[in-house]
Amino acid sequence: MILIIGGMFQGKKEYVRSRFGLEARDMADGSVCSYEELFRCRGIFHFHEWIRRMLRENRDLTNLAGRLEKENPQILIISNELGYGVVPVDSFDREYREATGRICTRIARSADSVHRVVCGIGTVIKDA
Amino acid sequence: MITLITGGSGSGKSAYAEDTLLSFGEGERIYIATMYPFDEESHRRIERHRNMRREKHFTTIERYINLKELTVPKDSYVLLECMSNLVANEMYQEGGAGKDTVPAVLEGIFALDRQAKELCIVTNEIFSDGIPYEEETERYQKYLGEINQALGRVAARVVEVVYGIPLVLKEN
Repeated sequence: MILIIGGMFQGKKEYVRSRFGLEARDMADGSVCSYEELFRCRGIFHFHEWIRRMLRENRDLTNLAGRLEKENPQILIISNELGYGVVPVDSFDREYREATGRICTRIARSADSVHRVVCGIGTVIKDA
Repeated sequence: MITLITGGSGSGKSAYAEDTLLSFGEGERIYIATMYPFDEESHRRIERHRNMRREKHFTTIERYINLKELTVPKDSYVLLECMSNLVANEMYQEGGAGKDTVPAVLEGIFALDRQAKELCIVTNEIFSDGIPYEEETERYQKYLGEINQALGRVAARVVEVVYGIPLVLKEN
């Protein structure tokens, strides 16, 4: 697994295109794709949106990283890095932001590499 | 010596802070918990952290305000979690430092640092969502930001944890 993180509008997809040769059109879009698509796709962007939608559907995401590791170990995941603001007032927003953190932390642990993109510049923060 | 550990929400700061304290070796381990359990969600959060510490032989001290009058065993290894709660408590709890929160918190930290062999402090990045808040919330952000800067200056080591990955910002 490869994990790409960073704030919004930082050029994550462009970084993935130039570094890995993977175009957005060849990836799933987490803001619209199905639950199952995550386990089949080559890559996914808006992964945080996928998490948000699945939480809204009350899906159990407890062992998500473990299942991904087994069923789609080649996946490249692009997610916004959340959780750098004031704790949200809305309880679902709190749950969503916390869940995204926990899931990405767990994915980062198993990932072959983790890249953080700021101002369009990617820094490899883990390379197994 | 002070180690400052920062990061976003759900980034794995706590687990990293605990591992850091363990890495110092055997000794008396003190955990200072600053989160005031005011609702069910905070109880769940506290329980989650308790489970993480169970096997690690920490003595837990709950302390919501007034750190400077707290005594810890000489030369112990101390983990303080977390600065964002402590600052909110000092600002808003009865008996808290109110508008003197920044100096009160720093004085408390320096008092702890004189007693402990190693002091790990977990703080929080709450500054980057670009959303304008009410004046009171922005005052809270300002106080925490000032404290983080002051701690960053005196800390021997400053680490930002990103999804479980430690990025060293300062190392003496």
